Parts: sequence; C-alpha cells; structure tokens
Amino acid sequence: MPFEEIYNNYWSKIFRLCMGYVNDHALAQDLAQETFIIVWQQLPNFRNESNIGTWIYRIASNRCLRQLETDKRIQKSELPFQIKEEAPLSIEPQIQFLYTCISELPETDRIIISLELEDIKQAEIAKIVGLSEGNIRVRIHRIKAILTEKFKVYER
Amino acid sequence: MSANIDFKNLWKQQEAEQPELSDLMLLLRSYKNKGLKRLVLTNVLLVITTVGLVLIWYYFQPQLITTKIGLITTILAMLIFVLAYNTLFKYYKSASEFESNSAYLKNLITIKRKQKFMQTTMLQLYFILLSLGVCLYLYEYVKLMPTVVGLLVYALTLAWLAFNWFYLRPKTIKKQEKKLDILIKKFEMINRQLDELDELNA
Repeated sequence: MPFEEIYNNYWSKIFRLCMGYVNDHALAQDLAQETFIIVWQQLPNFRNESNIGTWIYRIASNRCLRQLETDKRIQKSELPFQIKEEAPLSIEPQIQFLYTCISELPETDRIIISLELEDIKQAEIAKIVGLSEGNIRVRIHRIKAILTEKFKVYER
Repeated sequence: MSANIDFKNLWKQQEAEQPELSDLMLLLRSYKNKGLKRLVLTNVLLVITTVGLVLIWYYFQPQLITTKIGLITTILAMLIFVLAYNTLFKYYKSASEFESNSAYLKNLITIKRKQKFMQTTMLQLYFILLSLGVCLYLYEYVKLMPTVVGLLVYALTLAWLAFNWFYLRPKTIKKQEKKLDILIKKFEMINRQLDELDELNA
C-alpha cells in the first residue's frame, strides 16, 4: 500500500487514538505526525506477516506510551501564545467529556478503549497490546462500565 | 448498566485536521537531521580534540613517559565517553516500535536501566581518567618551573579537579539519575497495569 493511501486512511484514526491518550489537541497532532514519520521510514521494512493496521496501531500506541519521556515539550506547548494558536476546535461538550474521561484512565486502558471505539477486532487489540483476547474482553467491559458511570453522573 | 450511550459514535465525531502530506514531508526532513546532528557533532568534537592532543605530542616532543601516559589517558577518557554515547544511541535504534505494547515497555525499561548505568558509571570513569591524565601531563612542564610556581600550578589544577569531582560530578549524576529514575518508575508502573490483568485472568 503506498504511503499516501495509508496516510489518508489512517490519519484521523491515529489522531483520535493519540487524542484519547493525551487529551491535548496540539500534542495529539504531534504524536500522530511522529507516528507517520516512523511509518514512512519503516514502510519498506514492513512485511505482510501482520495486518498493516495492527502494525500502524502498534507504532502509534508505543509512541503514546513513550510520550512521557519528552515532558519538556508538554511544558512548551503549554505556553499561552501556543494555546491561543492551537485553540481546540469547537466540539460538542459530550465528545470533549468522553475524551477527558478516557485520558484519565490508566495508560494501557486508554489504548485499549481507543482501539475498541475505533472498531478494531478484539483479537487485533490483543495483538497490539500484547495480552490475551480474554484479558482484552474483560478489560473493555470494565472500562465501558466506568465510562457509562461517569456519563450518568455528568448528565445529571 | 445502561448501554444506551453510543461511545463509538461520540468517539468518531472528534474532528481531526489532517495536515497536508507535503507538510509532513518537510517535518520528516528536519527530524532526520536532528538526532544525527548531535551524534555527528559529538564525534567530530572528539576527533578534533584527539587530533589536537596528537599534534601537541608531535610538536612539543614530550621527553618524560608521564607526559605521554597523561596524553593517552586523556584521549582514552574522551574515547570512552563518546563510545558510551554512541552505544546509547544504538540501544535507542534497536527499540522496535512494531512490537506489542507490553514487549515495547519491557524493552524501554531495559534501555533506561542501561542508560542509567552508562551515565553514572561512565561519567565516573571519564572524570577519573581525565583528572589522572591532566596531572600526569603537567608533571614534565611543572618540573621546569621554579618550585613555588610549580606547586601553585598543581594546587590550582588539583583545586579545579576537586571542584569537578566533589561538586560538578555528583550534581550531574544526581540530576540524570533523578530524571531516569522517574521515567523507569513510570514505565514500570504502566507495565504493571498489564501484569495485573494477567493475574486476574489466570
């Protein structure tokens, strides 16, 4: 698959995954871009043994996990002039609330639920995260319960 | 439990501005250069210093063995430093981004531990070798000076080395250790989230 096609097919999916992880528009944009830089560099080495989607999601989720290493950049993007520049798009409060809730979950849960909401099969999620399918199923069930509970309180 | 909240629908409504492909390509180019630049710079600095030291040897023709040992020790110190730096760079390259999250996290923790060893032990070694090298190198020239001046030169040099050893070295190591310890702890914590899950299902 040529890079341009991958880029167009996966950009918004990867962006949402990053957004669920950090809940910061500018940072999510950076993380998504870094993911595609790795994809571009490593595409010639991609062997068709695994699904290209699994491969890309692994790169993106690993990039997210490693994000805490570059804490400095977070501080940088918190500078007031940059916040104004990168004003979040006007999104419905409900969407915003969902992303906030997800970004408050434990790190690995953020990845798991993001992939689930992206309609990735649980077998694939298991491969991306490195856990058994049964584990993933249990965890998704639990996370959804937590989210539902939070939404109930929110809507009240 | 109410299942009537359509999380998937909400999730997908998040707008995502896709940057132009050409912008991404521009970013790509600057990225490639950044990491490489630092590596090249460190290596070039080492080569220049080493050449400088060899030139001193060549032009001033030191007579005493202590001077020669001093020069070699100093070069060795720098060599070890850059070697450690380059090895660290290789470790990072070897961390494969295509592994599962759990494998990747374990890898990251190992790398960070190695980095901690490198930065503390290697820095220690670097300081010792450099101090030893400078002291040995000076001996030949100090011998030619009047005793008082010679003593003063050594006193000043030793004072400078002591400042490095007792103040700069612990400070640098502590700072790096603290930063790495925080990262290692955090990565281990994330990794434990996956372990707990395994236990639950066992």
